[in-house]
Amino acid sequence: MHSIRKGALALLAATAALWTGSAYAQDKPAVKIGAVLSMSGPAAVFGIPERDSLNSLIKEFGSTMDGRKVEFVFCDDKTNPTEASRCVTQLINDDKVVAIIGPGTGSGILAAGPVAQRLQVPLLGPAGTVAITDKGNAFYPWIFRIAPNDTAGMESLWKQIVLKGAKKIAIVYQEDAYGKFGAEFAQKLSKDLGFTIVESIGVPYTATDLTPQVTKFRNAGAEAIFMQLSVPSLGAAFLKAVNEVGLKVPLYANSGLAQKGFIDAAGPLGEGVHVLSIGNVAYDPTPPEQKLVAIMSKNGFKPQGWGDLLAGNGYMTIKAALNKISGPVTGQAMRDTIETLCGFETMSMGKGCFSKDNHDGWAADATVLTTIRGGQFRSDAK
Amino acid sequence: MLEYVFRGLLNGSVYALLALPMTLFFTTAATVDFAIGAYALLAAAVATAVAGPLGIAAGLASAVVASLVMCVIYVLLKRTSKDGIRVALASFGLSLAISSIVLIVWGTKPFVRQTFTTVLEFGGLRVNPQGLLNVAISIALVAATWLVLQRTQLGRMMRAAAVNAPGAELAAIPVIGVQCGALVAGGMLGGTAGLLILHSSGMDFTASLGLTFIGFAAAIIFGIRSPVRCLAGGLGIGVIEALAAGYTSGMVTSMVPSLFMLVVLLSGQLGAGRYSGDRP
Repeated sequence: MHSIRKGALALLAATAALWTGSAYAQDKPAVKIGAVLSMSGPAAVFGIPERDSLNSLIKEFGSTMDGRKVEFVFCDDKTNPTEASRCVTQLINDDKVVAIIGPGTGSGILAAGPVAQRLQVPLLGPAGTVAITDKGNAFYPWIFRIAPNDTAGMESLWKQIVLKGAKKIAIVYQEDAYGKFGAEFAQKLSKDLGFTIVESIGVPYTATDLTPQVTKFRNAGAEAIFMQLSVPSLGAAFLKAVNEVGLKVPLYANSGLAQKGFIDAAGPLGEGVHVLSIGNVAYDPTPPEQKLVAIMSKNGFKPQGWGDLLAGNGYMTIKAALNKISGPVTGQAMRDTIETLCGFETMSMGKGCFSKDNHDGWAADATVLTTIRGGQFRSDAK
Repeated sequence: MLEYVFRGLLNGSVYALLALPMTLFFTTAATVDFAIGAYALLAAAVATAVAGPLGIAAGLASAVVASLVMCVIYVLLKRTSKDGIRVALASFGLSLAISSIVLIVWGTKPFVRQTFTTVLEFGGLRVNPQGLLNVAISIALVAATWLVLQRTQLGRMMRAAAVNAPGAELAAIPVIGVQCGALVAGGMLGGTAGLLILHSSGMDFTASLGLTFIGFAAAIIFGIRSPVRCLAGGLGIGVIEALAAGYTSGMVTSMVPSLFMLVVLLSGQLGAGRYSGDRP
């Protein structure tokens, strides 16, 4: 009798221990994720949509991922690389985040890279700047790109230009790293694709008149013009000059001008201009993008452009990584897991895929060629 | 070639309008107001926010208000020191503050307004009527400024205020008043330039310093003391820019105008002293 009671007690104790054990598994320790975005300054054009998209996803799915409480901590890098690395330091040291979406700009990511490496927390960069995932960087293992890089889609855009019959092409680019990079990349492509660049002119941000440049393009016999610009007013000023000089050739723009501000500033002159775009969430969303659009509108946010998509990519990457991690979640575990993610669920075009040798999660299939019609970017048929 | 020169002249006339306030203020106070570009930016931003012709009035008014702020700064600085460089530096500060205000209120969206949709044709040359309007307004304002400075009592007072401020005060000239008047007139001219740019190429919140520098360059290149030299400076830079765009490529294009200015200023042949009426 005595021994039976003893046995029952032991059984009870064992059950209790198991019970707490299983309760522990269901209630995994909470983790914190950082979001360092350019919510003010020139890059706020992208930073605000990124913030809105994240907030709508957090609202939609509550604050749990894979049965664990996840808290997002935001920090504004003010489009300033110094602020970006300060934000990253602060979020890791004070808030103990295990991964960070951001910083908001390429230069911000490059500035924060060494910090991420030292404190061992991965950065998920929403920027196209090619250099951020250069394998030569000492901090390469810690940076993942959640956007297509600046060259992605350019090749298909140039193929399209050549396919439509233009062989002599003029390039206008803005005088900065983005502009120069695009102009040089086009030069590289010209040999493979069989077109010639008849003119290539750089213009400062504040140019008030671009008619001499367009006149030169006309005199050079350009059959199409490629615009590597990201300042909407500059793009619009260029279209005005094209109209004034009376040059009637097809106009193509790289993704820098895929912004609503460009359509507004260009007015009727923008009609028919072809613009490369990272997804087309604001005007013509593809089926995977429609999911994000629905979630954003449901939670009271207006989808604005590719900023929404990139932040969504960041959120889905974090989610996929947390699903896969079984042990304790640390910065190191997040980094190691993200590197193995491929073909996980996303809310954007293209397939998200990382590997040890490829930290660029999205490729050319995340971009789409659009044409401005009726004051909107309409996706061209693929 | 002729086409480039012509287009350069059209664009240069707006530069002249940005240079004019510099001349005006330098003539009366022997220092420079670097907030001109900011007045232009503010006028353009306000004009886009108010619909219709009223927008133009509101734009000009905002530029005048901004220049009144500069007046207050100027008067306060003058109380403690006669050093002109402090005024110039303070105007830089004001310029940055105005740019920030524009960024906070209007964000990064570009400011553009379309007026004429038709394009005039002269032979093979196509011109937007706005371009011709810009030239007409610029020349009229330069001429008016020149007349005021050279042919009126007010002009003599303005010049006297700069050349010998204590002497002018002894002669019962309200020196500070005249100088503030020049600042406000500058605000108006800068605002006008901003409105013309708004209707021709458009701009965004980053424009202010760029406009100030091109205006300053146009003002000093052939001598800062005369409105007519400003016009020449503005047109000269416009033409050089157009020719550079027409005959060079890549990064060289935006270097040529600066090189041209450097050569002119270094040569000293067209500098302020020699032809602008000063005694050697």
